[in-house]
Amino acid sequence: MALDIFITGLGIVSGIGVGIEETATSLRHKKSGIGKIKYLNTIHDLPCAEVNLSETQMKQMLGIKECENVNRTALMAMLATREAIAQAKLPLDGTYKLAFINGTTVGGMEKSELYYFDFLANDTRNEYIEGHDCGACTEKIADFFGGFSYVSTPSTACSSAANAFILGANLIETGIVDIAIVGGSECITKFHLNGFKTLLILDSEPCRPFDQTRAGLNLGEGAAFLVLESKKVMDERKAKPLCKLSGYGNACDAFHQTASSPDGQGAYLAMNAAIKMSELQPVDIDYINAHGTGTPNNDESESQAILRVFGNNPPKVSSTKSYTGHTTSASGSIEAVISIIAMQQNFIPANLNFKQQMENIPFTPVLDVIENMNLQHILSNSFGFGGNNTSLVFSKI
Amino acid sequence: MRLEDIYINGTGNISIQEPLSKNGIFFPIAYNQPHIRCIEPNYKEYFDPIVSRRMSKIIKRAIVSAKQAIAESGIKKPDAIITGTGLGCVEDTEKFLDALIRNEEKFLQPTYFIQSTHNTISSQIAINLSCNGYNNTYIHRGVSFENALMDALLLFKKKEIHSALVTGNDEMTPNYFIILGRIDYWKEEVKNTLEILKQNNSTGSFAGEGSVSLLFSDKKSEKSYAKLVGFDLFYKPTISVEEKIKNFLNECQLQLSDIDVCLTGMNGDKENDTIYSQVLGSLFSADSIGYYKQLCGQYYTASSYGLLSAACCIQKGEMPAHMILSGKTKKEIKHILLYNHFQNKDHSLVLLSAC
Repeated sequence: MALDIFITGLGIVSGIGVGIEETATSLRHKKSGIGKIKYLNTIHDLPCAEVNLSETQMKQMLGIKECENVNRTALMAMLATREAIAQAKLPLDGTYKLAFINGTTVGGMEKSELYYFDFLANDTRNEYIEGHDCGACTEKIADFFGGFSYVSTPSTACSSAANAFILGANLIETGIVDIAIVGGSECITKFHLNGFKTLLILDSEPCRPFDQTRAGLNLGEGAAFLVLESKKVMDERKAKPLCKLSGYGNACDAFHQTASSPDGQGAYLAMNAAIKMSELQPVDIDYINAHGTGTPNNDESESQAILRVFGNNPPKVSSTKSYTGHTTSASGSIEAVISIIAMQQNFIPANLNFKQQMENIPFTPVLDVIENMNLQHILSNSFGFGGNNTSLVFSKI
Repeated sequence: MRLEDIYINGTGNISIQEPLSKNGIFFPIAYNQPHIRCIEPNYKEYFDPIVSRRMSKIIKRAIVSAKQAIAESGIKKPDAIITGTGLGCVEDTEKFLDALIRNEEKFLQPTYFIQSTHNTISSQIAINLSCNGYNNTYIHRGVSFENALMDALLLFKKKEIHSALVTGNDEMTPNYFIILGRIDYWKEEVKNTLEILKQNNSTGSFAGEGSVSLLFSDKKSEKSYAKLVGFDLFYKPTISVEEKIKNFLNECQLQLSDIDVCLTGMNGDKENDTIYSQVLGSLFSADSIGYYKQLCGQYYTASSYGLLSAACCIQKGEMPAHMILSGKTKKEIKHILLYNHFQNKDHSLVLLSAC
């Protein structure tokens, strides 16, 4: 049966803007956030899409004292969550049973990579030790707002935030909670920047998803959170729905720790399952917000999977990682918010930097922003290391 | 949440006790140090030596314990594989981190990074079992395992799955032992791990590690250890945990007096154990309060060992004296309530009954 889950609030922070409005403007004006690294202290000069705010600025925006120990991942999450709560007009006073679900992988690594040797040698950085734990990061964000009776931290690398939707939907459908705030947050760390670099999957130029000459991804950072609730609760509190979450699919590629199978088996299963749960046919999907990292392996594998699900004439496809970079654990929710913005404002975001058609792939991604598009159903893909593949379907009401 | 028709049909574990065995629960080994590593099985029986050399300990343990649970249950490809881990693949994370800092971001190799993400465990199990089904990982402090279990139970409840392999995996490297020691996780000296509760006038416990795999199915079999009747997981409750427990039992249609043992995460840490005493003092007597961390040590997913030991005790019909607060063996066990808390913020309740 299709899910009966409504989305009533969105919040987003990424390289293309702080908040829905700025994000929408960047998307419509093809303004990418990918550029030179400004905030991360690294020796590498690689294009990345950082959130254009310092920790100090974010703390000021949130009314958090400068001396307080809150990491960048948590600060970005707080900004996005605050926006989602405000849009949904969500009461945090105990009227409703609330869950906060934060998909993340690096957790407190941004501090651990600075202080790891201190952790081992002395007591000067003890306050950051427990912060390494991703769950501690989730609880810090939840506690900033208060009122949550369920907190959780799914972590499946680059599909973490997408998996947060599954847990949130199921907690609501089984009546464990009334409302779930779901999403993910991740800042760029030296740890994963260098890790991706050793895998030779970082492009030294702006990434070109689904392009024959694509040479890798650009890292991004950010956070996005969404308010999910049942129809009953939404009607009762007279909240205004933005769209529905109709279905999800979660499958494991079970092929390789960091590479996708050539035929995209996991992606194929995830997309099919999401469409089936939504009680739709592939032809009903109007737009695919692809995982589209820009690595040779992902885009080939994902394309093959798309062809297997949709045939040789798939719906419009674009990867908005050409705007936001690959925001890793947060990408599932960042791209969900982008998809919902597109649905509400009736446009399809472009797949930037595309020049050359992929060989053997019959479809071309969306080259320019397409306006006046009625997007009834959108499929959003998130695929992680280890073949943790998740697809979500969002539907217009 | 009340549950119907959910059974534990297979288990596998590698811990600081005898590997791939239940002997550690009934005839445990005692240690006299604050940091105990797992006793490893002979991995040559499971992996090609060249492949084995490249795999971290936690991955080997996870795969082998998963295979044991699979073999016991007879369910070759579970519909879901879900892992809870507090810290994930620490050994490889530390190796990459150490090289990153030491060499100032130069000369790095990908191997350790590849195996560093928390979800490596669930995905390596899936690759090993060729399971394309639902796959997920949760990292949430001392209730990471319960988070994974909740995910599986919701899928069972919605009838999206009929079987699930739920695992709890953590490793405690020498460096991480030092790091957590800085924030009072461990006692400086441990006289006898089996009697760790006698040292409950100070903070800290002793460090363990482990890999527990439990195979859940919606069909009872002759292999079934126990039936999972109820589950609850909550954060910073606004009513007392005592009330929560009463409401939970009520929902599961049981009385307090039906509970033979309330199995807790007491570990000899003053602050940790005080919470259990405060919550349970008025509900249960020392004859019916149990503990298991003296067997497996303290680590973020130790509660998976708690559930394993409860399942084994239910199957056997008794809980040994060394697991009961009063020191008296509990016989004819039908219902065990597991109560676990982490820093008195995250709380979980699991109700297991005889099949």
